[in-house]
Amino acid sequence: MTLRDQPIRRKLMAIILMTSGAVLLLTCGAFIVSEWITFRHGLVQSLATLARITADNSSAALAFRNTEDAQAVLSAFRIERNVVAAGLYDQYGKLFVRYPTNAPAVAFPSTLGADGHQFAQSYLVLYQPVMESDKRLGTLYLKSDVSAMYERFRLYGGIVVLVMGFAFLVAFAISARLQKRISGPILALAGTAKAISDRKDYSVRACKVGEDELGLLTDAFNHMLNQIQERDTALRTEETRKSAILDSALDGIISMDHLGRVLEFNPAAERIFEYTRDQVIGKDMAEFIIPPSLREEHRRGLRHFLATGKGPVLGQRLELRALRADGTEFPVELSITRIGSEEPPTFTGFVREITARKRADEEIRRLNAELEQRVIERTAQLESANKELEAFSYSVSHDLRSPLRGIAGYSQILLQDYKPKLDDEGKRILGVIQNETQRMGRLIDELLNFSRLGRQQLKCSVLDMTALAKAVFQELTAFPSERKPHLDLRPLPLARGDAPMMRQVFVNLLSNAIKFSRTREVPVIEIAGHSDTEQGTYYVKDNGVGFDPKFSNKLFGVFQRLHHDDEFEGTGVGLALVHRILHRHGGRIWAESRPEEGATFYFTLPK
Amino acid sequence: MNAIQELEILLVEDNVHDAELTLRALKRRNLANKFVHLKDGAEALDFIFGTGQYAHRDISQHPKVILLDLKLPKVDGLEVLRAVKSDLRTKSIPVVIMTSSNEQRDVIESYKLGVNSYVVKPVDFDSFSKAVSELGCYWVLLNYPPDPQSGPA
Repeated sequence: MTLRDQPIRRKLMAIILMTSGAVLLLTCGAFIVSEWITFRHGLVQSLATLARITADNSSAALAFRNTEDAQAVLSAFRIERNVVAAGLYDQYGKLFVRYPTNAPAVAFPSTLGADGHQFAQSYLVLYQPVMESDKRLGTLYLKSDVSAMYERFRLYGGIVVLVMGFAFLVAFAISARLQKRISGPILALAGTAKAISDRKDYSVRACKVGEDELGLLTDAFNHMLNQIQERDTALRTEETRKSAILDSALDGIISMDHLGRVLEFNPAAERIFEYTRDQVIGKDMAEFIIPPSLREEHRRGLRHFLATGKGPVLGQRLELRALRADGTEFPVELSITRIGSEEPPTFTGFVREITARKRADEEIRRLNAELEQRVIERTAQLESANKELEAFSYSVSHDLRSPLRGIAGYSQILLQDYKPKLDDEGKRILGVIQNETQRMGRLIDELLNFSRLGRQQLKCSVLDMTALAKAVFQELTAFPSERKPHLDLRPLPLARGDAPMMRQVFVNLLSNAIKFSRTREVPVIEIAGHSDTEQGTYYVKDNGVGFDPKFSNKLFGVFQRLHHDDEFEGTGVGLALVHRILHRHGGRIWAESRPEEGATFYFTLPK
Repeated sequence: MNAIQELEILLVEDNVHDAELTLRALKRRNLANKFVHLKDGAEALDFIFGTGQYAHRDISQHPKVILLDLKLPKVDGLEVLRAVKSDLRTKSIPVVIMTSSNEQRDVIESYKLGVNSYVVKPVDFDSFSKAVSELGCYWVLLNYPPDPQSGPA
């Protein structure tokens, strides 16, 4: 495990310990090296001084080749415990005397080295020339044991190790306390982050310790957590809302990926297809809900879309057959949309079972057909009834009039040819016969008019009702009668209707008004009207004899009369005709009156 | 053929009373001298085209006017009118429909077939005899028909 992967606490400790260790090591190293150099230098100096003195003292003995003297000089090394061997060589390089005297000759170098010192293994070797007034007499060889020096430095090394060991312990103790200041908040932060990522609980907050960079980091972290929590809440709300929509939708909602696998299958879809969500999620949708006969088409459509990006069925409302879990097929209404523009595409279908609707449609169609059939039958019945009526009125006009003409004609002949033979009563009776015949002729004519009205087509145009009323009034009063009534005509609203028929309405209403007010001193006829958005309302009012309102329901019936013929002549067809005309125009007519207080006839015409 | 014996009015009418009244009205104006009354459409066709019991008749002798009722036994008035007006030999004979019917479809159909006049018989005798006599006057005395011999064959 490298340092990089170590926990931060260990990292901090390692850094502190390594730093302090390195410093200590360098300090100790420098001390030991300087000690080493100084000590060796001192060693060489003291041995060189000893060698020079010995060389000086032994020059005479060498010059005179006095072995004893020389031996005496060298024996002085007894007190120098370090010097383990000394040898005096003559000018020819031949060993003259040696110390200790019992030392074997082979322990001494046979050939002399260069003047000066040199370290060899644990010994310091020194060659000192023996001079006598510039004349070299020989060479002094000294061999000093320096193992004591190495001993000393081994001691130093031990001390250094001890010091360092102690220093590490102290440093560890200190760093162990100090590193908490830094690693603590970081560890807390890391712990918080881990807790959040483990538990997905974004309400947890990191604890802030100080205002340093770590404090900043904690703040930033907490701020970030706030934002995440807000977004998380928003996301959750949105998610809840969406899934509520999916769950509560009455239509089946099924999502599918580009390979035709089911991604979403809402409860309505479960109800419709009788599969559970778990049964179909991730499976090939076609295998479950598309009837075998349509599967290949479905797959071809999907491939076509993936290849060309064109999906003619997308965004359309289709009526198709679908497959239920129990293997039955049923009709559905389906619309498929591509959701978003992500790649690869996903599709969502909205499915509605329309079995009931189809059945209702079928029922409606059936009922309609029935109704149509019934209408056709009724129309045929009506047509035949109409034909019968026509035949009836045709024969009435022919067959009833012919005998009437006979009666009128022959009574006339009687009156013309046999007048002298008739007495006054006979003539009067013949007159009555003729009048009655004429009256019956008029009745037949009006009855025919009335029945013809039901068959006549309306030719509607915009009518100036004021002008029409005025013209009719003038026509009706053109022949001077007993009293010409006073006309109070106010401007009338325009109307839409069949001109000759509307003229007939005014003719009948005005002639009635004139007829029933002619007994008045000053007959007054008032015509007025007003209109709103839906209809125009008109009235014709007279100050005539009026009628008892309890008979007003008989006013508009055919041959219904409220007055005796000897008072006011009439056939009883006029108002029935008016009623029928207005009815055919979609209007209404009604009347208000009291005996002797005049009558008002209102009528309406739709706009 | 003697011009004096020339037929002036042919009345086709099934109702004998109507016929009598018509004749009476014409007589009062002295228009009933050369007057033939036939009682149904079939007889009228035989008479006009010289067939059946009238095979001996010279059909080039045109009446000055045919007064034709619409409602006739066997062959109705409109059929008679169609036959007369679609035959080149008889096309120029003036035909006046005299009927009780004031049905529009009868009027329209009659004019379509080429009727010369359409008269609704009034119930009132005075009006009736006035109408008949004026009619007779016009067609018998005033109207000048083309000579049947020189007409297109």
